[in-house]
Amino acid sequence: MTFSWKRVNAIFMKDYKDFSRNFAVSIVIFLSPVLAAIYGRIGVTAIESHYMLINLTFAMVAAFVQSCLIAEEKEKNTLRGLMLSPASTTEILTGKSLLSLVLTLFTILLSMFLAEYKPANIAVVAIAILLSALFYIALGTLLGLFAKSVMEASVIVLPVMVIFSFGTFITSLAEQYPILKAATYLPNIQLLEIGIKVEAGAGFGDVWLQLAVIAAWVVVMFMLTAVVYRKRMVD
Amino acid sequence: MTLEFVNAEKRIHDSLIFPSFNLTVNKGQVVAVYSSVNVREQLIHLLLGKTLLSHGEIRLDENPKQPNSAGFLFLHHGLYERLSIAEMLQFTKRLHSSKTSADDILRLVQLDGKRSVKINQLSFSEKKRVQLACLLIQDPAIFVLEEPDQNMDLESKRIFLSILQHLREAGKVVFILTGNLESAVTSADTVFQLDDNGLRSIQMKADEDEETADSTGTLASTQPVRFEKIPTKVNEKIVLFNPPEIDYIESNEGQTFLHIKGESFPCVFTLTELEERLLPFGFFRCHRSYIVNLQKVREVVTWTRNSYSLVLEDISKSTIPLSKSKMVELKEMLGLK
Repeated sequence: MTFSWKRVNAIFMKDYKDFSRNFAVSIVIFLSPVLAAIYGRIGVTAIESHYMLINLTFAMVAAFVQSCLIAEEKEKNTLRGLMLSPASTTEILTGKSLLSLVLTLFTILLSMFLAEYKPANIAVVAIAILLSALFYIALGTLLGLFAKSVMEASVIVLPVMVIFSFGTFITSLAEQYPILKAATYLPNIQLLEIGIKVEAGAGFGDVWLQLAVIAAWVVVMFMLTAVVYRKRMVD
Repeated sequence: MTLEFVNAEKRIHDSLIFPSFNLTVNKGQVVAVYSSVNVREQLIHLLLGKTLLSHGEIRLDENPKQPNSAGFLFLHHGLYERLSIAEMLQFTKRLHSSKTSADDILRLVQLDGKRSVKINQLSFSEKKRVQLACLLIQDPAIFVLEEPDQNMDLESKRIFLSILQHLREAGKVVFILTGNLESAVTSADTVFQLDDNGLRSIQMKADEDEETADSTGTLASTQPVRFEKIPTKVNEKIVLFNPPEIDYIESNEGQTFLHIKGESFPCVFTLTELEERLLPFGFFRCHRSYIVNLQKVREVVTWTRNSYSLVLEDISKSTIPLSKSKMVELKEMLGLK
């Protein structure tokens, strides 16, 4: 079966309309721009706090919104209709991820603007953010597949929010507890490292390792999601 | 396009869900299968390709099953409740790359006045109609409907029946799965009962046939063959029951009702006429307003010296009153004193 953008677009438009009327979920996209505006006004310019905001946006928008979108399809019996339609699995998941991706990128841009963060090398940061967004969307899809309802999805996304948005503190903890060194390979911390290096004037050649680590996370998460999707959707 | 079951048989572990049967649904035909919930769910799973038959196969137009030629109307509606009716239809149309006009479908389900109303503000019956509209817009060759008119209001049932007529004319294959005999009889041309005893046809004929039969009534009366089935009326159709199927007959405000497997069907005959016809089949007038099938009686309960009841062995363990004078008669029949 051929990949049809028409069907993906149909799913995207449907999700957009549905999402814009679902205030219980859509309210989260305002959280980080508001925080960013406050940070920007009181003059917080530390690179760590900018990346805390970006990582918070990833967890709140990409992971949370995506898991709610998937979980709601399951809860309301609508996923069955989608799966019986001519749309293939790839088309369904692409359509559903597209909205989260657009929302995430839009929210991050707005937050960066409001927090007055201007990266020294926009191209590097943009690629890093895009890669990370893919990781968080895959993570959100995975959580959505495990959750049976929107309620459940919003609970199981909490640990993700804690680990990935405030996880930048792990680096300082890791100095005391060497076991936490492994945690520095988490994509949020890799992203922060890229941010710091870019401010120090680094180009692509200096951050390829970090980008590779994030890309590896993306690949692992995509594969995991695909496996879980097959298992969960056979029922 | 036809839907065909060939020697279809299903077992789960050691229990038989239904034994092997053959059934063909042709173009422009509405066929209903009246069954229990278990059998219905199994059939749906089989048609969805989630489970496989123990024996035999399901054929769509002589080809092995391909899932997309059939459209399903499930008992639980899967609608996006925050979308309006028009948006929902538009989405379904684009998802299925369908050419059908959404306006025509909206007129067909008579929701064109509510096209911009959000689905969560609709009544249950209206949601069912939206669900039906989504199926119509997909325009599949085979319609599989699961309990299509359950809990529907009268208006929606009427619309549903007119849509079925529309599908017949469009030459679609319509396969209804229901646990409600009345619904099956009202909507379908041919009704079958499927359970662990196999597939049986439930005979019925439309009113028009009955009228033509009346005109040749003189001929029929001269024939020595006695017609044994008991007719009942469900909406416009006449359903015929074998006497042994009947649990008991009740008369209520001048109208007689046949009770069969927990459902009741109005009958045109009076109790006295029925008593006469059914006496050879082991039926017994146990009360002024009851006739019971003695084969189905499990217990005779004595409440006091003058009040008795019969308990039947049907699913709901119905109790039938037994009057004192009839008790004596019954005892004689049973050979007791």
